[in-house]
Amino acid sequence: MFSWNKAFIFKLIFLGLFNAFAVWAAIILFVQRNYIFLGVLVLGVIVINYVYLSKKNYHLKYIVPGTIFMVLLVVVPIFYTVYVSFTNYGTGNMLDKQQAINQITGRHHRPEDPREFYFSAFKDEDTDEIFVLFEDREDGSLFLGEDDQAVPVDPDDPRLEDTTGDGEIDTFEGLEKMERPDVIQNVSRLERKEFEYDDSLMRMRDLNRFALYRPSYEYHEDEDKIVDLRTGEEYFPEEGHFVNAEGERLDPGFQITIGFDNYRRLITDPRITGPFIRVFIWTFQWAFLSVATTFALGLFVAILLNDKTMRFRKLYRVLLILPYAVPAFISVLIWRGMFNPSVGVVNRIIEYMGLSGLPWLQNIFWARVALIIINLWLGFPYMMLLGLGALQSIPGNLYEAAAIDGASRWQRFRHITLPMVLVALAPLLIASFAFNFNNFNVIYLFNEGRPAIAGAQTPAGGTDILISYTYRLSFEAGRGSDFGMASAVAVMVFMITAVLTWINFKYTGALEEVKENE
Amino acid sequence: MKRFAILTLAVAVAFGLLAGTAAASEPGELLIWADADRIEVLQEFRDEFEEDLGVPINFHEKEFDAINDDLGVEGPAGEGPDVFIGAHDWLGELVADGLVEPIEMDQELIDQFEDVGMEAFTFEDDIYGLPYAMESIALIYNRDLVPEAPETFDEFAEIVRDISDEDDKYGFALPQPDPYHTYPFMTALGGYVFGFDEVEGWNPYDVGLNNEGAVEGLSRLNELYADGSVPYVDFDTMEGLFVGGELGMMVTGPWVFPALDDADIDYGVAQIPHMNDNPPQPFVGVQGIMISSFTENPILAQTLVTELMADEDIMYRFYELEPRPPVHKAAAEDAADDPHTAGILESAADGTPMPAIPEMSAVWGAWEDALDLILTQEQDVGPALDDAVELIEEEVQN
Repeated sequence: MFSWNKAFIFKLIFLGLFNAFAVWAAIILFVQRNYIFLGVLVLGVIVINYVYLSKKNYHLKYIVPGTIFMVLLVVVPIFYTVYVSFTNYGTGNMLDKQQAINQITGRHHRPEDPREFYFSAFKDEDTDEIFVLFEDREDGSLFLGEDDQAVPVDPDDPRLEDTTGDGEIDTFEGLEKMERPDVIQNVSRLERKEFEYDDSLMRMRDLNRFALYRPSYEYHEDEDKIVDLRTGEEYFPEEGHFVNAEGERLDPGFQITIGFDNYRRLITDPRITGPFIRVFIWTFQWAFLSVATTFALGLFVAILLNDKTMRFRKLYRVLLILPYAVPAFISVLIWRGMFNPSVGVVNRIIEYMGLSGLPWLQNIFWARVALIIINLWLGFPYMMLLGLGALQSIPGNLYEAAAIDGASRWQRFRHITLPMVLVALAPLLIASFAFNFNNFNVIYLFNEGRPAIAGAQTPAGGTDILISYTYRLSFEAGRGSDFGMASAVAVMVFMITAVLTWINFKYTGALEEVKENE
Repeated sequence: MKRFAILTLAVAVAFGLLAGTAAASEPGELLIWADADRIEVLQEFRDEFEEDLGVPINFHEKEFDAINDDLGVEGPAGEGPDVFIGAHDWLGELVADGLVEPIEMDQELIDQFEDVGMEAFTFEDDIYGLPYAMESIALIYNRDLVPEAPETFDEFAEIVRDISDEDDKYGFALPQPDPYHTYPFMTALGGYVFGFDEVEGWNPYDVGLNNEGAVEGLSRLNELYADGSVPYVDFDTMEGLFVGGELGMMVTGPWVFPALDDADIDYGVAQIPHMNDNPPQPFVGVQGIMISSFTENPILAQTLVTELMADEDIMYRFYELEPRPPVHKAAAEDAADDPHTAGILESAADGTPMPAIPEMSAVWGAWEDALDLILTQEQDVGPALDDAVELIEEEVQN
């Protein structure tokens, strides 16, 4: 039925590995009661096994893995982001409601008389039962934990024995006292033990002692409220926190879905709408200029390097590729130092030439110029690489024909090279536009979106683009991080970029040829 | 088909058994999240810990600043550590998020540590961390250019101008725009971030960054920027100038010591110059060891932190690896033999702990913008600080 060739054995091993991973994941999901993901997992495993075991459906063997990765790496994050944008997830609202309730009701306080008891634990290996004896060393009184109660015992109780005669009880009903390693072995059981004493609870405090505690809060499931047991104050859930009548909140809060609130804030909050147009225009200029300058320089250099008469071409190519090979965030930090108005090398050179230095960090215009220059340095090698590739694809006979017709160098570039390169690169230029539209790194690392604008009612800086500005709003806002808000912003920026990209594609007809081939 | 199914299942089960364990808090094992330096020290004591507790101790290395963010994601998901290190100013957020557990400490243990460190890790009557180091900033001066540290701001300004008049030399620099490093100059005459009350704690509705003292203090500093005596530089540039011997003085913390020692600079550490006899109050930051709310081993984690880690040798080793003064009194005493560390401690003695409430996140951005506008002479001190405080108040109320 099956041929035992190498390919088949490989398939068996990989499928086995995959299934093993799935079994492992399934156990975890089952333990965590995450039945939705468990269902998805089981379904996925069945599909994969079917596709690779069946002799039919050959094409699926190629499509299924790609589809699965796309769903995992692209579709799921998008859906999760959209989901988070409808929640209040952020500082103070990290946990789910049950976790928050557990945390609050797990809190204890010490009663006015904070007694502590040194304990001795005795384990009956046959019944696996643990007995705990408590001693208040201040008055010498003894207690025994029985059925969740701390019951006083007489020091002369016959069950207690001091076999070594050192004044400390070391056996209980013939069982030997647990030493520290035994206590540690059983610590998770001891931690769970609570014994009532007066109106308090004896709970484990450390490896030697139990102490008296009182629970601070109680949760009433039927009314969905938390009661402060010290004051009787009642707290009801409201906007992701338990809140009392005076509006005081209990920490921690929890995550809830809040519908379109984040989007509403985005549209109505004057701190966001105020500078929006200004920020949006600069974002657009920034993306456009970044693509235009890098493309122009990249193509220029590519044409130079494409000239076969040039010596040391390979060396130049390596040198020119370097900016692309250095991690952007390091280069940007170095550039930031070089553009420093007081001590940076750029202004020192300008001053050396007898001119006065430029306010690269203080003035909005010059800060923007500096950013374009930095991004030109970072981005032109990429365009150069693309250009080199595209130039190879232009048939040489076009140039020959042009030369025969007496076309000048410029005419040849204008009417042959540029259109041919643009046809090949237009989709990549559009991708580059979308990338720079969201190029958070360069903007933030250079100057964190500054210079600040004097007298501004909002924290938007002079070089802030949409994504860096909203980063500020979401993560440097009133009370820590606001992931819900940040996700709403991400969804909005995604839609803006999607529309812009779509218009670009339409306008440039970048994919027309592809369409024709369909 | 059947045979095949059985085969794959068999292979699956075999591999499944081989699958390792996940790195998360598990009963009977302790997982510690820390940065590389702290892990290096704790590794040295790992055998001791394991022998005493009889349970395996595991480490997971993280960037220091990533720990609080990662804890927020991994803790609630059951993937977090038992014990982690962090800064005291995270505490407000960690408590609000329900990520950190109070630590039971005996008075005897508390007394082994400097009060300022324990106070920094106290939030609403509970102690949440065992402080291992504190940091503050002080005046660091190059002895070749500044033989003796100035005590008053006027003396200081004079020295700065004298040195800056020379070619290619600057008398003084601060990383800018940086509220943390500029704060001491705003506090000497009475500025503050949030009002503090012994009972109520920090009051985010009382912002004192634009009061008379803050404006006056910053104005005096700004005069030096205005006449070009102090360059407007970022941290790396400042450090570079100092290491290159081109900078007379700077205000920053012990984290620069290793670089200065490597460069063989003869430097001194002193108090930041007084204004009208009032000492500046730099922020004091404290780092400590904390316990996650999601630990599966609360008692063991407590034992590890309070009995084993609260140890003079460990605390001193932390200091040796990175020269932030220890908070453990005995270790701090040893560390104070070093004159540079003593200078930091002296400066910190006048300091105030950085407010550990989530509202602090509303402060930095607006404050940075104000400093940027002021020190680049785009806006006057008073109006710029007023704008900043207005923004902060709006953010806090939102």
